[in-house]
Amino acid sequence: MADLGSISLALAVALAAYSAIGSGLGRLRRIPELLESSRLAVYVVVLALAVSVISLVGAFLTNEFRIAYVAENSNLAMERIYTWVAFYAGNEGSLLYIGFVLAAMSALALKLAPPRMQDFLPYTSMVLMLVLTFFLAVTYFMANPFSELSFTPSDGQGINPLLTHPGMFIHPPVMMAGLVAVAIPFAFALGALIEGKSGDEWVDSGRTWGIVSWALLGSGLLLGGWWAYTILGWGGYWAWDPVENAGFMPFVALTAFIHSIMVQKRRGMFRMWNIVLINIAFGLALYGMFMNRGGPVPSVHSFGASSLGWIFLMFTAIGVIVPFAIFFLRYNALKSRSTLESTLSREASFLVNNLLLLAIAFVTLWGVVYPLISEAFRGSVVTVAAPFYNQVNGPLMLALVFLMGVGPLMPWRRASPRTLLRALAIPAGVGVGVIVILRLIGIGEVYPLLAFGICAMVTTGIVAEWYRGTRTLRQQGNSYPLAFLRLIAGNRPRYGGYVVHLSVLLLVLGIVGSSFYEIQRDVVLQPGESAVIGEYRIEYVGTESSFRGDRTEFVSTLRAYKADEFIGEMHPQRAFYPDFQMSSTRASIRSTPVEDFYVVPSELSEDGSAGFRVFVNPLVWWMWIAGPMFMLGTVVSLWPRRASDSAPALDLASRRRDVEGITGAVGQTGSD
Amino acid sequence: MGHSGQGDVRAVNLTLRNGILPILLLGLFLTLSACAREAPPSLEGRAQSIDKQLICLQCPGETIDQSQVELAAQMRAVVRERLEDGWTRDQILQYFVDSYGEAVLAAPPKEGFSLLAWVVPPVGLAGALVLLLLVVRSMRVRGEPAGQDSEQGQMGEYLAMADAEMEGVGDGREGD
Repeated sequence: MADLGSISLALAVALAAYSAIGSGLGRLRRIPELLESSRLAVYVVVLALAVSVISLVGAFLTNEFRIAYVAENSNLAMERIYTWVAFYAGNEGSLLYIGFVLAAMSALALKLAPPRMQDFLPYTSMVLMLVLTFFLAVTYFMANPFSELSFTPSDGQGINPLLTHPGMFIHPPVMMAGLVAVAIPFAFALGALIEGKSGDEWVDSGRTWGIVSWALLGSGLLLGGWWAYTILGWGGYWAWDPVENAGFMPFVALTAFIHSIMVQKRRGMFRMWNIVLINIAFGLALYGMFMNRGGPVPSVHSFGASSLGWIFLMFTAIGVIVPFAIFFLRYNALKSRSTLESTLSREASFLVNNLLLLAIAFVTLWGVVYPLISEAFRGSVVTVAAPFYNQVNGPLMLALVFLMGVGPLMPWRRASPRTLLRALAIPAGVGVGVIVILRLIGIGEVYPLLAFGICAMVTTGIVAEWYRGTRTLRQQGNSYPLAFLRLIAGNRPRYGGYVVHLSVLLLVLGIVGSSFYEIQRDVVLQPGESAVIGEYRIEYVGTESSFRGDRTEFVSTLRAYKADEFIGEMHPQRAFYPDFQMSSTRASIRSTPVEDFYVVPSELSEDGSAGFRVFVNPLVWWMWIAGPMFMLGTVVSLWPRRASDSAPALDLASRRRDVEGITGAVGQTGSD
Repeated sequence: MGHSGQGDVRAVNLTLRNGILPILLLGLFLTLSACAREAPPSLEGRAQSIDKQLICLQCPGETIDQSQVELAAQMRAVVRERLEDGWTRDQILQYFVDSYGEAVLAAPPKEGFSLLAWVVPPVGLAGALVLLLLVVRSMRVRGEPAGQDSEQGQMGEYLAMADAEMEGVGDGREGD
């Protein structure tokens, strides 16, 4: 197994390098045979890596502890299902995973590229294969998952207990795939740039793959939050941990990109800007992978002590500098097809959107590097953690959500202030109404009031737009449900985007609710005693322990009451893993749309008392609804159109408003 | 330019429904300014807001509010003791800085060199905003002459396109 895996990995390194060189040279010197063999080499790389992956899985399943990686990350007691997790639990396996995903996605992206991209596709392929060669070479030479021990241990060390949670089946692989997938839109942009194309040929594929990696990162981040919330036992889902930030920054930059690319798709503008954006996103993704592998900051996410840090840092630097150099060389090919006509237009609102998103990304980056700056200049260590990010990024995010309500109401090209005011009147009215009502029922803080008001405004804007469009189509003889589906099918990027916007609003609800109205208490209880937390009361019944091979589990039983009414038993758990000298907790959560009641064990004493940390977390339930909705919106906006791929998207309402904006003739299709 | 000026004049001539907006904004302002006076939070509330500002140095990145280790529990106890003795928030934070160094604070202080951490983001944002406005202006100036002349022609074309597409949707051409 080990030999087969190692040999096919070596083959993959060689072929990826060959394909990179062959693609570039073949295109430069116009050698069709070389191009063809380089193109086919990509598929062989995928095959070779598949063999490596299967060998490693096989080694896990057959307990080949002679392979160091298998011995470090599994043992005889490990349930077979966790092989999936053990595969990427360490540096070596996760690098192999990343290489395989990149190879497979590259092959797919190159295969699906439309005909008008064919002439620069070799350069795209070259970029992708260069990135792949880097990952595979590092895997093979520095972190080979197939390297063998000099002896065969009778049992392995076992899997890290923190990873044995359903969230860990999806969060890490999705995050890693998302980070590495940024390479694909980046390679499309860079390929077109090297060829000296004017700039619009790569846009459709760039957008599609940009959204794919963005959706992977977005759902990965949400799953990570969910995992932290149910496992880590501090009642939170996001800590602005340096590695969380490393995944968050490329996601934010990609969010800017997938908005801005729509302007290029529709209006042929922002050609240079989009290339800058995808370069930034790629640079941040490389940085994210660097942070995962021996970055300078300790974190729950680091892959142990890894010497790969410097290599990844150097590659990150190259991955940022070289593309920008090419960009400056090709600067002249990128003139916009049309110009910005008004500061009151969809185009301009996208620019503000990009500005805010990049600001969030750079504030986050600033927070990560500031401790290094402080140490270098004054020699004193400082910490930059949640309070900094909340204070600085909070207002930026709120402004962004506000823009989410205004931007989509703006027509392309030019809006008249009057039509814009008319379109905004109802949403803004609802927003302000919500703020006043919330104030009257006693919500006092400015931030939550503004946030809830803005959420109401944005929701109203979206619903009003859906209603108007549906009504128009309904007047043409469709039933309401059919009219609604037709509306969405008619412009998927737009209406899918709205669904994603709604999911963002749900996230905002959860974030604001839990950050401002969370109740937290530490209680220590003897059996029979009870404690009151807000409206809730818990009565401690007792704790039972049981031995389960690799761990001892302690399951506590508590009876929970709300307003003196029994609402059920709760069973927070703790497990102790003697091999790891490590314990893990699992919170017991009673989740309702209004609030979560959350109990996590903290300590057990000799005298029979038990400590618990108890939270009441308002509105968190909505955050986990946001996840599926986010995916739904993404799928809608990516769903391929039936006919050609190049026709401009049908954008009925906004096209109509384009016209109204130009003529100043306020429309009959307006809001009356 | 003349075109948008015309729009401005019309916008001033508000209809009754548009008139609701300023009234609502005024209401909003009054509501928010009423928020300034809030009841002072309880001792535990104040203690927890201090907990969130202090890092547990045994577990990087976690505040003592989150951490479950012994050190964090001790630090939480100290916070509550001092509050009961009548210490202010700043005094308590300073006490921990004196004993553990500046790294114990979850965010750099807004003074001295560390002010840099707080000043760079807003200054950078303001700079980027100015740059954006300049770019937008230069784009508009370049676009102006062509825009005026061709507007009528483009408009007709767009009207036709929009109408054609509305019919297209009605025919179910786009639906799956």
